[in-house]
Amino acid sequence: MTTTLSTRRAQAAPAGTTSVRQRITERVAPYAYIAPFFLIFGVFGLVPLLFTFYVALFDWNPIGEHVFIGVDNFTRLFADARFWNAAWNTISIWLLSTVPQLVLALGLAHLLNHARLRLAVFFRMSMLVPYITSVAATTIVFAQMFDRDYGVLNWLLGFAGVEPIDFKQSVLGSHVLIAVMVTWRWFGYTTLLYLAALQAIPRAIYEAAAVDGAGGWKQFRHISIPSLRPVIVFTIVTSTIGGLQIFTEPLLVSRSAPLTCGPVRQCQTLTLFLYEQGFGQFQFGYGAAIGVALFVLVVALATVNYVLSTRIRPER
Amino acid sequence: MKLRIVTPVALAAALALTTAACGGGGGTTAAAPPEGGKSFDFWSFSGINQKASVEDYQKKNPGIQVKLTEVGSSVETAQALTTALAGGKVPDLVLIQGDDLPKFVQQPQNFYDLRQLGADKIKGDYLDWVISQSVAKDGSIIGIPTDVGGMAVAYRTDLFKAAGLPTDREEVGKLWPTWDAFIETGKKYTAATKKAFVDNAGTSVFYQAVNQGPQKYYDPSGNVVYSTSPQVKTAFEYGIKAVQAGITAKQSSFSEGWSAGMGKDQFAVISAPSWMLNAIRSNAPATKGKWDIATIPGGAGNWGGSYLAIPKGAKNPKAAWDYITKTLNPQGQLAHFVDSGSLPTTPSVYKDAKLTALKDPFFSDAPTGTIYTNSLLGLKPFYIGPDSSAIGQEFLNAITNVEQGKGDAAKAWDAALANIKTAIGK
Repeated sequence: MTTTLSTRRAQAAPAGTTSVRQRITERVAPYAYIAPFFLIFGVFGLVPLLFTFYVALFDWNPIGEHVFIGVDNFTRLFADARFWNAAWNTISIWLLSTVPQLVLALGLAHLLNHARLRLAVFFRMSMLVPYITSVAATTIVFAQMFDRDYGVLNWLLGFAGVEPIDFKQSVLGSHVLIAVMVTWRWFGYTTLLYLAALQAIPRAIYEAAAVDGAGGWKQFRHISIPSLRPVIVFTIVTSTIGGLQIFTEPLLVSRSAPLTCGPVRQCQTLTLFLYEQGFGQFQFGYGAAIGVALFVLVVALATVNYVLSTRIRPER
Repeated sequence: MKLRIVTPVALAAALALTTAACGGGGGTTAAAPPEGGKSFDFWSFSGINQKASVEDYQKKNPGIQVKLTEVGSSVETAQALTTALAGGKVPDLVLIQGDDLPKFVQQPQNFYDLRQLGADKIKGDYLDWVISQSVAKDGSIIGIPTDVGGMAVAYRTDLFKAAGLPTDREEVGKLWPTWDAFIETGKKYTAATKKAFVDNAGTSVFYQAVNQGPQKYYDPSGNVVYSTSPQVKTAFEYGIKAVQAGITAKQSSFSEGWSAGMGKDQFAVISAPSWMLNAIRSNAPATKGKWDIATIPGGAGNWGGSYLAIPKGAKNPKAAWDYITKTLNPQGQLAHFVDSGSLPTTPSVYKDAKLTALKDPFFSDAPTGTIYTNSLLGLKPFYIGPDSSAIGQEFLNAITNVEQGKGDAAKAWDAALANIKTAIGK
């Protein structure tokens, strides 16, 4: 539009001035187009980020005094067993949710791409339903299903003669419970990403492979996966970033001790620990220090993942 | 997953940012009052039907407009207030739950000293130990109490009968003058029925017992004494004893299993402040008429209660104060009790016929007013500090861990002390 307008103007006005104006417009316009994003990112992303680093250096009572204490929050943090517990919980829940989720999504995408399904659009679209369901609703339903005394899961296990399992109370059980919720919520979205990428692969390649005698598994292994590399890298990086920030699910698991996700912090994640310190205890400085530590952890793990996943290459 | 890419720190910082930028959710309607003081902003909790009292007030005071915002749960309201105070855009009147109050009392500069508006003249109307919780170190009064919980035991008459226990509320109260006797009664019940007696040990035993004495987690001058206070240790031991007696249903209060278990006869007894009666009604409507209410072991107790406060930046403190004096005076609180069952903080109406005559059909026509107000009269004031709720939560967690998890009963006390020390640094 800008181009058309300026071209028109160029025809009407004296040649010399317009070409300068036009050149300036063309230089500036792209920046103007992307400016809204960076403006909003600056206000809601960058400034809070930098401000967090600043607050982390204070004993910061939101409604009282702000005392500069340097790195004391960090020294305290690294000596705090609750921090390491939360870090371990976060990584454990992330692994338990991300790995099955990506594998499941890959398999489902393959099926949806190849199988001759009736109502294919229906199946593809219905996978997005968990994604658009409110996290709180999902969590409450799952927490009920996994309940020790009145949960449908333990009721079914009862038929097999299994003693009721108290998922929420044990460390592994609560991690599995949250991982199931996260997987449930995200596998459809990831599947559709993979499916879109799979559909971009020319059929001819599969047909050629079939002529050469490659079966379904070999086609999947040697054509689909290498072709999906960019999408797999993308999903691994985003699920690392998202998975390390799981918050709502653990917050809603334990009604009696919500901020710690249970009496012994069995599923308290780093974001929940941050929330407990910041909003539960009003220690904004300490909460901000947890945020900085989480930031470092996310950057580190995302980098490692990126490096590892770029090693998926087409075989030659 | 793209949507989840909120910078990790954003959460920490968003809070700081909100303080600077928006001044907290909920109350963005704040505007200059028209015609000098005819309207004011009021932040309250959701789910307590604050609207009814506001409408009643507006009816009696035509021309005054109360802009009520139901922010969320009591905790969410306190959080919104915190960000609002830090950001400077505050409501004129705010409801603060008792557990959240100490953090604000520690920073009284954020609130109007209600003595300047006339609180000195009316403070004698309120229970001493209740109003003293809103008095700051400098002597300023930052909140006027709206209600208290009181304490009693709700029990199932049908299940008691099946277990061969008495069902009359007087006799049941006599079964457990002490917590030891309560646990013994539980053993008898469980032996006779093979079912759990009480919902859990943490809230139904420990939380109640720890409130029954002159000193809790702090001494009167505000020093933390949770590790040496005999009252705390004794209450903790009662909790552990109840677990070891095997009389608890291991259902944490307000959990899904707790709500379900209530309707499925999983336990026969709940320690219930007055507001809990509504939770029982809505969780187990089919048990109507099968419950009754008896006195709590130890006789006295309280759980819950809230305060109305006026933030320093309020635009119309006079109108807010008028609301406080007109709705929280003894007669106002009595009327509110009759309407909603929330217990007055003004002892002068405890003998009023309107209060004593009230009977609750869901609970076998128990005279709730009399039972709950009696539990308040024996209470002694104790100092509640900024970390009281954190300390209480850690003790509760330690007991729950023994009850539901793999916690070692012998090590529970030391573990709780260690956790508290990490949490509050002293």
